[in-house]
Amino acid sequence: MRARFYDGRTAQAREVELTLADGRLAFDDDDRPHRWPVRDIADEDLGGIVRLSCATEPAARLMVEAAVWRALRGHGPTGADKRRRREERRLVVGLSAVGGLILFLVFVVLPAASGPLARATPPALEQRLGESFEAQLTTAMRPCRDLDGQALLYRFGDRFESLIDGRFNIRVRAIEAPFANAFALPGGAVLVTDDLIRDARTPDELSAVIAHEVAHVERRHVMQATWRAFGLGLVLDTLVGGGSGAGQQAVLLAGSATNLRFSRKAEAEADLEGVALLKRLRLSSLGMATFFDRLAVKEPRSAVGEFLSNHPSSARRAAATRALGRPGVAAFTPEEWAKIKQTCSSGADLRFAIPPLVRR
Amino acid sequence: MSEAEAAAPTGETVAIEQRADLRSFLGLSLRNGLLNLVTLTLYRFWGKTEVRRRVWMSTWINGEPLEYTGRGKELFLGFLFAVAALGAPFLLVVFAVQFGGPIAGLFVLPMYIFIIFLVGFGQFTAFRYLASRTLWRGVRFGLRGKAVDYGWAFLGYALLSGLSLGWFWPAAQRRLAGRLWGALSFGDRPFKFDLDRARRLEPIYPAFVLGSLAIAGLYVIGFGVMAWGMMTLGVDAVRANPALNLGMSYALVGFIGFGAIIAYAPYNAARLRSVATGVQLDRVWFKLELKWRDMLWLSLSNVVLVVLSLGFLMPLVQARTTQFLLSRLRIHGEVDLATVRQSAEAGPRTGEGLADAFGLSPI
Repeated sequence: MRARFYDGRTAQAREVELTLADGRLAFDDDDRPHRWPVRDIADEDLGGIVRLSCATEPAARLMVEAAVWRALRGHGPTGADKRRRREERRLVVGLSAVGGLILFLVFVVLPAASGPLARATPPALEQRLGESFEAQLTTAMRPCRDLDGQALLYRFGDRFESLIDGRFNIRVRAIEAPFANAFALPGGAVLVTDDLIRDARTPDELSAVIAHEVAHVERRHVMQATWRAFGLGLVLDTLVGGGSGAGQQAVLLAGSATNLRFSRKAEAEADLEGVALLKRLRLSSLGMATFFDRLAVKEPRSAVGEFLSNHPSSARRAAATRALGRPGVAAFTPEEWAKIKQTCSSGADLRFAIPPLVRR
Repeated sequence: MSEAEAAAPTGETVAIEQRADLRSFLGLSLRNGLLNLVTLTLYRFWGKTEVRRRVWMSTWINGEPLEYTGRGKELFLGFLFAVAALGAPFLLVVFAVQFGGPIAGLFVLPMYIFIIFLVGFGQFTAFRYLASRTLWRGVRFGLRGKAVDYGWAFLGYALLSGLSLGWFWPAAQRRLAGRLWGALSFGDRPFKFDLDRARRLEPIYPAFVLGSLAIAGLYVIGFGVMAWGMMTLGVDAVRANPALNLGMSYALVGFIGFGAIIAYAPYNAARLRSVATGVQLDRVWFKLELKWRDMLWLSLSNVVLVVLSLGFLMPLVQARTTQFLLSRLRIHGEVDLATVRQSAEAGPRTGEGLADAFGLSPI
C-alpha cells in the first residue's frame, strides 16, 4: 500500500510502502524503519484521504487513501478513536457536573451566605461603601438645591437612629431623577427622588416611604444584595467567563431570579418593619397603604408580572400595611411639608435631552 | 497517488482551496450550542477547538490539508491562568476604589491604560498560539517576537489614534496586522510584511473617509428623526411611555449599528486587501480580490445568521467567513517548500486564555 510520508522534520514529501503485520504498521523511509503500533494510531478522515499520526512519532504524518486504509485495518474504530470518545464522554459529564455545582452556588450557597456575610460586615466598612455608591449615584442624579427642604429630610432621618441602636447614621437626601423612587444605600444613606416627593400627597406617604428605606438599612438588605451581586459577578467572571453567550445568560438569569425572589421578600419585610418604626416614633403609619393603593392602579395585575418584578404587587403590599397601619402624629407640619415639596423645584430643566436621560 | 504528486518540486506555486461542507457546520453549531448550555459554557474551549480543527482540515494548500493540533484543555488552562493572574489584581483595584476613598481613584486611569496594553498582548499571544498549533506537511507555523513589544505598540497606536480623534486608527490597524503577519514563520521560513507595498497598492484612507462621512450622516439622520418624533408626539408623552421610550432608543442604536456595517464595508474590504498585499513568503505574494459589495454581503449575512440563531450558528459563520475570504485569495510567485525545516520553537504550552478572556481570537 502506497502512502505519502512527512517525517515532521522537513516539509518534504516521501513516497513509502506500508505493510501491516503483528498489529504494527511498518514502512521504511530512506532505509530508516518505522513501526507504528495500530492501537496508538489516530486517523483523521479528510474526504478520500486519511491522515495518520502515531503517539510514538508525534510530528510525523502519513497520508493514505481512505479506502485502502480501511481495507487494511478493518472498519471498526481504532483504539485511539475509542480513547477519544471515552475522554469526550468523561469531559461532558465532568463539565456538566461543574455546571450543576455553579447552579448550586448561585441558587443555594450565595443566597444562604449573603445574610451572615452582611451581618458580619463591620458597619464602618459598610458606611464607606455606601459613601462611594452615593458619590457615584449623585454624579448622575444631582441632589436637589433647596437647603431648607434637605435639612428637614435629614433631620427626619436622624429620628430613626435611636431606634436602630445608632449603628448607622441615617442621611436622607432628595435627588433629581427621571422617575419616582427611593432607595437605601449601604451604611445609612437614603435617597428620595424629586418625582416621588412630587407624587406624595401627604406627609404620611413620604414618611412611610422613608421609614421603609430605613428598615432596609436596619435589616442590612442592601449589604446582602451587594454580597449577592458580588458573588454572582465572581461566579460569572471566573467560572463562565463574562456576560455574553447563551450559557452565561442562563447563569445571569438564574442569579436574577434568586435576586428577585430575595428582593420581593426583603421589600415585604421592610414594609412591615417600616410601619413598626413609624409606630415607635408615634407617627401616623397610614400613608404606606394609600401610597401603594395609587401605585396599584398603574400596575398591570398578573402573577407572571409579579414573579418578574423585584417588588411584591402593590395591591398586596397595600393590604398588608393597611392591616397594621395606625393613626398618629404627622411627620411634618404643614409649613415643613410645603418646604419639602419645594426642595427640588429650582434648578435647570433638561426637557429636551435624549429619552433615557430625560428628566423633569 | 502518483510519483509526480508525491515528489515535491523545488519552487512550487501555491494554491489554497477551502473545501468545507458548510452543512456539516450546522450540526456542529447545534452540538456545541447544546453542550455549552448543559455545561454553562464551560464546554466552549473544546467546542472552539473542534471548529478550528474542522476549518483547518478543510483548508488545502497544494493538495495537502492544514492540521490544527490545539486542544480544548490548553485553552481552558490558559483561561484559568488569565483569571488568576489578572482577575485577582483587578478585583483588588476595584475594591480599593470602592473602599479606599479618592486616593484609590488614582489607580483607575493606570488600570484602564494597562487594559489597553493587555488587549494588544492578548492579540499577539492568541495569534502565536494559533500559529504554533497549525501544521502543514507535518511542519509547524510559529510567531517570532515578544507579546510585550506588541502590547506596547498596540498601546502607543491606541493613544495616537485617540489624540488624532481616530484618524490614525486605519494606519494603526494595518501596522499592527503587519507586525503579526511579518512575525509569522512556516517552520524555519519567515514571512515578511512590506508596509510600503501594502500602502502603495491598496490605500485604505479613501474608504475610511467615505465611511466616516457616511457615519456622521447616519448620526444626523438618526438623531434628527428622533427629535422630530419627540416633537411630534410630545416630550412628555414619550417620557410617560417606557415602551416607546425604549423602542426609540433601540431603533436609533439599531439604525446606526446596522448603518455602520454598510458604511464601513468599503473600508473593511480595503483594510483586508491592503494587509494581504503586504504579506510575503520567499517569492510568493498574496492578493485578496475582495470587493466592498462582497464585504457588505458577508458582514450583513453573518449578522443576520448570528442574531437570528441567538449566537448558535457562530461556528457556521466562522467557517463560511474563512471559505469566503480564502476563495478570493490569489497567490503569485513561487516558494521552495520542500526545503523548509521544522522550527525548534514548539510554541506556548497553554492556550490564549488572555485573548479568550477578552474575546480576541479571530476564530
